[in-house]
Amino acid sequence: MRSSLAGKFVGSSVTRKEDRRLLTGQGRYIADVVVDDMLHAAFLRSPHPHAEIVNVNTAAARTSPGVVALYTGTEMQKLTNPFVNLAMLPGLYSPIFWPLATERVRMIGDPVALVVAASRAEAEDALALIDVEYRVLAPVATIGNAMSSTSEKLWPKNNSNVMFDHTDTYGDVDAVFNSAAHVFTERFTSHRQSNQPMETRGCVAEVTPDELVFHSATQSAHSLRWILAMGTSKADARATAQALRANQARLKSFAKGAKDFLTTNKNDVGKNDNAGMIHQVKRDRSTLKHLGKLFVNTLAVDARKLPRVVADDIGGAFGVKGHATREDVAICAAALNLGRSVKWIEDRVEHLTVGGTARDETINLSMAVDHDGHILGMRADLVMDQGAYPAIPFGAPLFTRIMKVMMPGTYRAQAFELRTRIVSTNKAHYVAYRGPWANETWARERMIDIVARRLGLSSAEMRLRNMYGADELPVKMVTGPTLDKEMSAKATLEKAIEVADFTGFRARQIAARQQGRLLGLGIATFHEAAPGPPDFADALLPGGGMLTREPIRTVLNADGTVSVFTQQVPHGQSHETTLAQVAADELGVPLDQVRVVYGDTKQTPFAILGTGGSRGGPMAGGASMIASQDLRTQIIREAADLLEAHVDDVQITDGRIHVAGVPSISVSFADVAAAAKVAGRDHLTSSVSYDGGRGGWVQATHVCEVEIDPGTGIVSLPRYVVVEDCGDLINPAIVDGQIRGGVAQGIGAVLYEKVMYDDEANFQSSTFMDYLIPTAMEIPHVEIHHLETPTDKPANFRGVGEGGMIGAPAAITNAVEDALAHLGVTVTEQYLPPTRILELMGTIERS
Amino acid sequence: MTYVNITFSVNGSDVSSSVLVRQSLADFLREDQRLTGTHLGCEHGVCGACTVLVDGRAVRSCLMLAVQADGTSITTIEGLTNADGSLSPLQQAFMDNHGFQCAFCAPGFLLTAKELIDKGSPLDRDHMRAELSGNLCRCTGYESILNSMEAAIAAAPSGGQP
Repeated sequence: MRSSLAGKFVGSSVTRKEDRRLLTGQGRYIADVVVDDMLHAAFLRSPHPHAEIVNVNTAAARTSPGVVALYTGTEMQKLTNPFVNLAMLPGLYSPIFWPLATERVRMIGDPVALVVAASRAEAEDALALIDVEYRVLAPVATIGNAMSSTSEKLWPKNNSNVMFDHTDTYGDVDAVFNSAAHVFTERFTSHRQSNQPMETRGCVAEVTPDELVFHSATQSAHSLRWILAMGTSKADARATAQALRANQARLKSFAKGAKDFLTTNKNDVGKNDNAGMIHQVKRDRSTLKHLGKLFVNTLAVDARKLPRVVADDIGGAFGVKGHATREDVAICAAALNLGRSVKWIEDRVEHLTVGGTARDETINLSMAVDHDGHILGMRADLVMDQGAYPAIPFGAPLFTRIMKVMMPGTYRAQAFELRTRIVSTNKAHYVAYRGPWANETWARERMIDIVARRLGLSSAEMRLRNMYGADELPVKMVTGPTLDKEMSAKATLEKAIEVADFTGFRARQIAARQQGRLLGLGIATFHEAAPGPPDFADALLPGGGMLTREPIRTVLNADGTVSVFTQQVPHGQSHETTLAQVAADELGVPLDQVRVVYGDTKQTPFAILGTGGSRGGPMAGGASMIASQDLRTQIIREAADLLEAHVDDVQITDGRIHVAGVPSISVSFADVAAAAKVAGRDHLTSSVSYDGGRGGWVQATHVCEVEIDPGTGIVSLPRYVVVEDCGDLINPAIVDGQIRGGVAQGIGAVLYEKVMYDDEANFQSSTFMDYLIPTAMEIPHVEIHHLETPTDKPANFRGVGEGGMIGAPAAITNAVEDALAHLGVTVTEQYLPPTRILELMGTIERS
Repeated sequence: MTYVNITFSVNGSDVSSSVLVRQSLADFLREDQRLTGTHLGCEHGVCGACTVLVDGRAVRSCLMLAVQADGTSITTIEGLTNADGSLSPLQQAFMDNHGFQCAFCAPGFLLTAKELIDKGSPLDRDHMRAELSGNLCRCTGYESILNSMEAAIAAAPSGGQP
């Protein structure tokens, strides 16, 4: 593959820069990080879903061989500030909690104590010697339990396990439902799922003479840095006041950073109101006290204690490593307290238990249609189980807002209402998992099939009849955002219907049934805001745009290479290759002349969101393009002086800069760098903060054929087709890999994977023999077709990281119902293991 | 704590060491030998990320104790690379075909693949799926891994070293 010849890299499946080290065992994942004089940590975790901590006896553990320190919850509390959610919604109560459990444990695996020892094995030995006395409380195990007014309250200050109850209404929903020819209603339930990257979480808090370096497998280095700073900068009022007086320079620097951010995001900041925080403070007056301390302590903290976060190779994440966790803060606090470096690597049992879970929700969905099957409106009631603790810095509340905007899809519904409730239960916390809002697509696409069947329409016809076509664009979704003229969901649907041979399938299905074989075909269409149109962020949360700008810095180095500094933290998406492809094309240099720098908060520009939301391609790709164009202009200007030519006559060909038509007289990038230095400019550099330009949607239609074994209930997937449009492909092999990986997780979610608890909230799936990750035997060939709708957008990249997982659960469950339709089966659950299939078929009794 | 002296070879070099009896082979390779290319994904023998070759056979190094390696010859991912540091044909096939994404599972897949190719038995796509089903990958959906494997087999001289 080309990697040395400059030209057009975008659009080519160049081999990955990452692979040289990763294929030879030279990667540096978090568990590989070793620093001098390092200690090892292990957490004692709760065996109860819900209990009061009566007493913790640590005497024996503290004298166990190798033990250097032990922290109980109350001891850790003295070293830390609590987690306070800053992303408030009006009406949301977000409990304040500490790194280790203090008075109460709220889930199996809740961290109760931290042991730091000379080796991991010795730390684990000591855990066994800690004696905790619990007083068991009634567990809240299900959404149903949580909604009951008599259930034990996880967070007494809220006096309810319902943490958020809010209704959004668009259009005249009552009028539409009252006048509709038909209203169909179903209750959809989705099970708890888990990201389970092959690498668990982990960190090494390295104490150096100058600073605390926090090595972490994080998707979001900068937000982790500031959450660690807020969590660990505990000091009493007098010391804080002294530090603030003594360190005016630091205050000024912080004030400048804050001012820059507020200036850049002036419009968005103005759209915010304080309704969310006012509600929170009414429920819990300590919020203000903690927030005040958090900010003042962080401002006053000695710069040597302000963590610098460094992320290197990461073994997957799919959202779970975008959160700052209690373990992160506890390890950081322990290292600062001891003045010694501390390493913690989560084991798989811990990761399955408390690493993070998602998608445990019910959606009661009503669809109003006319006699011809035109969708007039939708009304939904969503209940999401966020588990015991809210994820920080964002979690279930944000995901419900995306569901709210996206649920009507690209259909012509003119009225929509969503009631959202978020409940707390004694289960692991709800994290981002690849398309965290995906159940809006699942419920809607499932419902469309149910309605189509009841009206005697084909699932394809029902969609074609209701979806916005190119001739109707641009148009606003009922929830606000604009479907721009490049929105091509219908084109993906039409192409999918063509390639998946719907007409031929029906004949095959009938013939197969006569032989006792059960075939089914399912389709699902969705669009995703990756990055979304300019009016998307405000539809989500007024002022949401301030979260979403993407910074990048390009630098011409003395040796003529170019560095691209990004705040993105790749963990499998291949940014080192794709961002370099974009930059190399703009600069006219070979790919190996560009190096992408990421993961180190000391070197990379600040942003709140790290890698996530399928934003790497569209946002960082777009930013890389603009920052490289600007750097090229500077390079040309400098070279024009050297070549004594006019800038308009200077060209770059394969990394050499010359006068047009005279390639023999040229200067190199290193010459330009040297000349710039002589002229007093240390480095030619460009910094951009990209707003996504005109943005846009990524869209796809998935079609899946299933065959169900009527004897065993096993579902196989003889054919799976994805037709998608993500604009220009930067690296087709990487795009296809993202799509296939997402589909594989969707297949796992429906057919194999379930985070299981018993009726008492006891955790039941703590190994890979219980939580079944699909293998090469279960994942079929995924056939991919790309559409590229023409556009004049300067950077036409849209994200593909999440789409596979957004479309797959809907397509598969639709296909399963299609295969069982002659039995009168309606599929309303997302989890369809063989036993459930046999229950649906009536072969076995429902357990 | 009980220690035992063992002698074995790792990637062609002889090693004599005193090991803790409770230490797994994976921890010994990673911590004592600093061969961190062997990854620990689950530590209960399901995911296959820690696979190494012990006397040419693929073994989960998280389930084997270091003391059990006494007298054996072990190959890890670090031992797959050619002596001059260039990629072996097997590694090259995975690079050319975009075999992995995060690549945390890569060492296990590559060593499982090496054992299969070294055996020289013909492998069609379905056999490959079955043979690789003891290794979990969460990123790729396996297609790129199967494509890479197919390319590696095509490139290998019959019965030869990949």
